[in-house]
Amino acid sequence: MSHSHQRRLPVWALRTNGGAVLLFLYAPIILLVILSFSASRIPGQWGGFTTEWYATLFDDSRLQRTISVSVRVALVSTLIATVLGTMAALALERFTFRGRRVFDALLYLPIIIPDVTMAVMMLMFFSQSFNVVDAVFGLGISKGFGTIVVSHVAFNIAFVSVVVRARIAGMNATLEQAASDLYASRWQAFRYVTLPLIAPGVFGGALLALTLSLDDVVVTQFVAGPGSTTLPVYVFSLIRKGVTPTINSVSVIMLVASLILVAGSVALQRANASRGRQQLQTSGGTS
Amino acid sequence: MNEITESQNQRSAAVSLRGISKFFDDVTAVDSVDLDIGDSEFFALLGPSGCGKTTTLRMIAGLEIPSAGSLQIFGEEVGSLPPNKRPVNTVFQNYALFPHMSVADNVAFGLKMRKIPKSEISTRVHEAISLVRMTGMEDRRPNQLSGGQQQRVALARALVNRPKVLLLDEPLAALDLKLRQEMQFELKQLQREVGITFVFVTHDQEEALALSDRIGVMNDGRLLQVGTPEEMYDAPIDRFVADFIGRSNFLNGTLESAEVVCLANGQRIRVPEVDAVSIGDEVQVSLRPERVMIGDLDSAPHDSAQLSGTVDTETFLGNSVVYRVALDWMTIEVEADHRPDVERYHAGDRVDLWWRDDAVAVVRP
Repeated sequence: MSHSHQRRLPVWALRTNGGAVLLFLYAPIILLVILSFSASRIPGQWGGFTTEWYATLFDDSRLQRTISVSVRVALVSTLIATVLGTMAALALERFTFRGRRVFDALLYLPIIIPDVTMAVMMLMFFSQSFNVVDAVFGLGISKGFGTIVVSHVAFNIAFVSVVVRARIAGMNATLEQAASDLYASRWQAFRYVTLPLIAPGVFGGALLALTLSLDDVVVTQFVAGPGSTTLPVYVFSLIRKGVTPTINSVSVIMLVASLILVAGSVALQRANASRGRQQLQTSGGTS
Repeated sequence: MNEITESQNQRSAAVSLRGISKFFDDVTAVDSVDLDIGDSEFFALLGPSGCGKTTTLRMIAGLEIPSAGSLQIFGEEVGSLPPNKRPVNTVFQNYALFPHMSVADNVAFGLKMRKIPKSEISTRVHEAISLVRMTGMEDRRPNQLSGGQQQRVALARALVNRPKVLLLDEPLAALDLKLRQEMQFELKQLQREVGITFVFVTHDQEEALALSDRIGVMNDGRLLQVGTPEEMYDAPIDRFVADFIGRSNFLNGTLESAEVVCLANGQRIRVPEVDAVSIGDEVQVSLRPERVMIGDLDSAPHDSAQLSGTVDTETFLGNSVVYRVALDWMTIEVEADHRPDVERYHAGDRVDLWWRDDAVAVVRP
């Protein structure tokens, strides 16, 4: 009797807990989507259905510019961070060298230190170094696209290398030795054996870097210059000016874009997995 | 058989090690090894784990660079060359097949890296795959193969490059017993077919005895003895070798002259002539359990070495019986055939033990 009673209570509690978590996670998102179609001028109020806010969005050239900056920054910084982060991961996993431990610890700093600190650091670094460059070469460089990219690369290297390292650690180092035993040079061993095997890690790291770059407000706000505002920074500034329902529709578009990104990567993984299964089945049939 | 012995006499050294050492920080993994491995020889490096045999193999492969000494392959100094510049290929312990490539791509890898023309690659890959009897499996991935099949692909992947020396690191350790015995046979046949030098590392003394033309036994980084399987079993010169290959009793004594050992109990026995130890040295006489005769008290022939004792324990093994016979100064293990015409003894029986003078070996303690 007491047993069944004890058992029923946790089931009930677990269900409530699960429901609460789902509600907590997804209610704001659903609310946002609904309100983005609200005709009311006040962002948090329902005033009938409209697609007006999406229409104004497409007329807003400033918004389109910030989207373009965001995408370009994200692509360029992801590319650079992925190459450098993968190289750092390989160096740490496959080689022993002087100062390896120090390098290892330093590499993780951007993950640990707060965004604001990172932002102030980058800002000071840029203003100091631009002063030096100006004094020595007489070149007046200003903040803008380049500084945003460099800052994003700076924090993304750490994230990429963490993800890639996990993958390299799971890969048998004997495979690289086997490649070199089979006449592959260092580069060929990397190109034909290591890279294909760590590709899922590199891809995952790149996706993470892309997301972080598209998402970043704090660091970007410090290092951006006039005319090089990214979308999140622009959205943030819209809120300060007074909230209009346009924000809702911008957010929904960002949400949809990230959903497409995630769905795309899941679909890609599924396709890979089912191809592997098919191979297994067809070759199993011939034996 | 005659052909092999003849070619053994004339062969040049395929692999030659002179004073090869390898230190990892303070640890000496390989300690000044001198070794010549002949052309088309099947050579085993045998020893317990951590004895330096794998490090020695990896130095020949180029995966480790020797700390000291000279390493030549067919007369060419290769000690500091990277693995991709050496005329050797390796079959790794866990095969190290590339998981993202098919069997055919795995086998073709070495040829592709050396930029061999495409048409030649496909014929050679085909040949190698049929050599290891894997035809029809070209499109499979390594994870779709059994252990034995992976082993064969690893062999094909190495042999397709026509290396001058094939190195095998514990090639059969990952297989189960039955498959291991099958592959032993195949490996030996394969070596005869391709006719190149095979150097393999193993901790399994039976595998070494069954497969190799010659065996080198290593311990603590040192190469203790090199010889044919028969030499290693019949005439070990080191206690470790005698103990590692087969089982043995060790009787303490002193070498009095080239052919006489005075045992610890004061008894003098004749031994085969030795030159690995000098007269007056403390030695041990290695006496294999199956080479000791056991019989009733006072039944030993007078012209052979003999000891008397009491049967302490008996262990029945089916085809044989192992007796532990207690002497007043040591215990000796005796393995007697189990046949209707052989007398069976039991614990407490007084027995004589004897052996032919040439049944023992004098070893360094």
